[in-house]
Amino acid sequence: MSIQRRGIHLDQSELLCKKGCGFYGNAAWQGFCSKCWREEKQRQIQEDWALAERLQREEEEAYANRQQKSQPQAAVTPFNKFEERKNKEKSSKVHTVTKFFTPSTKTPPKKDAAPFDAHSGPSPSSSTRRHSCLEDERATQEFIDFLKPLKSGREIFKQCRAFTEGMVYKQDMGADELSECVQDFYQNLSDRLQAQFKGSSDHVESVMDEVEKYMMTRLYKAVFCPESTDDEKKDLAIQKRIRSLHWVTIEMLCVPVDEDIPEVSDRVVKAITDVIEMDSKWVPKEKLACITRCSKHIFNAIKVSKKEAASADDFLPTLIYIVLKANPPRLQSNIQYITRFCNPSRLMSGEDGYYFTNLCCAVAFIEKLDAQSLNLSSEEFELYMSGQASPNWLQTRGASSSSSGSTALTQVHNQADLSVLDKREEHVRKGARQLENDLIDWTNEVEQKVQSALESFPAGTPAPAGTAASEPAPAAPSAIDSENVENELLPPPLQPQVFAG
Amino acid sequence: MSSAGAAGTSNRTYSFKVVLLGEGCVGKTSLVLRYCENKFNDKHITTLQASFLTKKLNITGKRVNLAIWDTAGQERFHALGPIYYRDSNGAVLVYDVTDEDSFQKVKNWVKELRKMLGNDICLCIVGNKIDLDKDRHVSVEDAESYAESVGAKHYHTSAKLNKGIEELFLDLCKRMMETAHAEERAKGNGASQSAATRRGVQIVDDEPQATPAGGCCSSG
Repeated sequence: MSIQRRGIHLDQSELLCKKGCGFYGNAAWQGFCSKCWREEKQRQIQEDWALAERLQREEEEAYANRQQKSQPQAAVTPFNKFEERKNKEKSSKVHTVTKFFTPSTKTPPKKDAAPFDAHSGPSPSSSTRRHSCLEDERATQEFIDFLKPLKSGREIFKQCRAFTEGMVYKQDMGADELSECVQDFYQNLSDRLQAQFKGSSDHVESVMDEVEKYMMTRLYKAVFCPESTDDEKKDLAIQKRIRSLHWVTIEMLCVPVDEDIPEVSDRVVKAITDVIEMDSKWVPKEKLACITRCSKHIFNAIKVSKKEAASADDFLPTLIYIVLKANPPRLQSNIQYITRFCNPSRLMSGEDGYYFTNLCCAVAFIEKLDAQSLNLSSEEFELYMSGQASPNWLQTRGASSSSSGSTALTQVHNQADLSVLDKREEHVRKGARQLENDLIDWTNEVEQKVQSALESFPAGTPAPAGTAASEPAPAAPSAIDSENVENELLPPPLQPQVFAG
Repeated sequence: MSSAGAAGTSNRTYSFKVVLLGEGCVGKTSLVLRYCENKFNDKHITTLQASFLTKKLNITGKRVNLAIWDTAGQERFHALGPIYYRDSNGAVLVYDVTDEDSFQKVKNWVKELRKMLGNDICLCIVGNKIDLDKDRHVSVEDAESYAESVGAKHYHTSAKLNKGIEELFLDLCKRMMETAHAEERAKGNGASQSAATRRGVQIVDDEPQATPAGGCCSSG
């Protein structure tokens, strides 16, 4: 369909309002005319309200009926996770599909493209829309529940809702401007709360956490890895980079963990799992929590290996190692998302902020990593990077870092020897094949000769032809002889006789 | 929100971020563990890690939350420094009095910090391991005169003997509080101040971050 509409050609029907009222539609209103769009929007808002109220009623009923609250919740969690993953897959699919349509934004959006654009239009038929709706509803419900006991809860909810909905119409803004908007909102709200709670910062923090959770759950799809940035490109770049660094060992990074200890290797695996899990979360705070969990596992691994509290000198190399091993999905997008939309107080001085900063450092290090930063010679580094050699081939685990360099060098030599042998073998094989071909050719040649020879002589005289070929000199008289039919009738030739006397 | 440097009414808590810089093996970790846990090379250290530590203080009736960020001191991580010390209120630059090179390293850090953050950051230069005074390779006069020349305070400490550490952090806190006050006065109203605080949060690699803040101070 996009191929057909590649040109400037536009159907009259495409310019008209989608509702068919006869007025012209507009891209900014999803193809509706201004009046229909307003109605549509109003309907949407009312639906949202009705849904929120219904949910609240249901929740309250369920709460009244439910005696033990924690148990069913625990049972639900795995399903939620599954749902989340499904949503995530969907969202990534949506992103790629929408990408296809971005170059054509100058023309009014196509009717068939609209349903894919999950976050910018009221298209209740789309399944992605329904999924994000479920998430939205849950977030809204939780937010309402949280705010209920607060005096100003209703007002806070209204503001957050209005702001979140307003954000939907700022889609075409750059990521930095969106971030600016959200950060301004956080700042204003927290200033107001500060005044309201008379400086009880813990309280303000907890409210702000919920605000962030509600808003970012609703905005996640629109502002995570937006098309206006090159986040996706950076994701792919770092992913490729980490893949090409697969050969980096614990020794090269001077990582103070001993993976031979079962507890340590277990911690390493958990740390890797946590940093990968970050991508599945929607709220910046939850993403940060994943990084913090990962860091705690690393600290445990270091403590078990080194028998002392880990310093930054130990922690950062280990984190780099974990990131290299994990190759977390959409790493740059996640970092950018957290940076742009996380509550600032958390990033600036909190413990989560410290671990996040370290992750940023790890990524920066991996991006700029060279031979020097791994204590390798540039030749070795080049060899490893090009895949011509690998430090893992001969190196035994637990070899000290100082010897690893020389081992690597001997390996390189061995590698060279092997390649020479390889070439020789290839040469021999080639010769053998040549010989075989020659033999076949020769046989064919001989056969051909024989054949042609046979053909050049009459069929009745096969045997003499053979002798003629091999012994040409005596053949001539015999041939003359053979014509003589009465040969046998002649008396034997005279023999000279010697007479005595 | 208890943002860094945000002060104002007396019941509000100050929250400061302090980075710990210095070469590996100068005793950064011992220093901060001694300060926060009062332990040295102890098997009973309760914290899991010594890279991020917090300390709550009460200075002249004002509450202060100190977050101390340890940094990786190996040479290969030197380039990552700006990511760590961004938005910090104070920096503790540690060298080993028996190691001339580590002092040289501190000088490099000072140059870099002043270039990137200007005068917004309070610097402390700390000569650690004074219990090994007989092997001293950095003279007291050199170190102190250097510190004065760059607008930093100089301290001598020993994590092993627990000397000079409390004073170091207490002084630093007082200076950071003064800086916060001065900034607040310079900015005048709260609106611009909050905007500036927020701008500082974004972890984006742009160097000129310090310049607008400086211009703001001088104009106000």
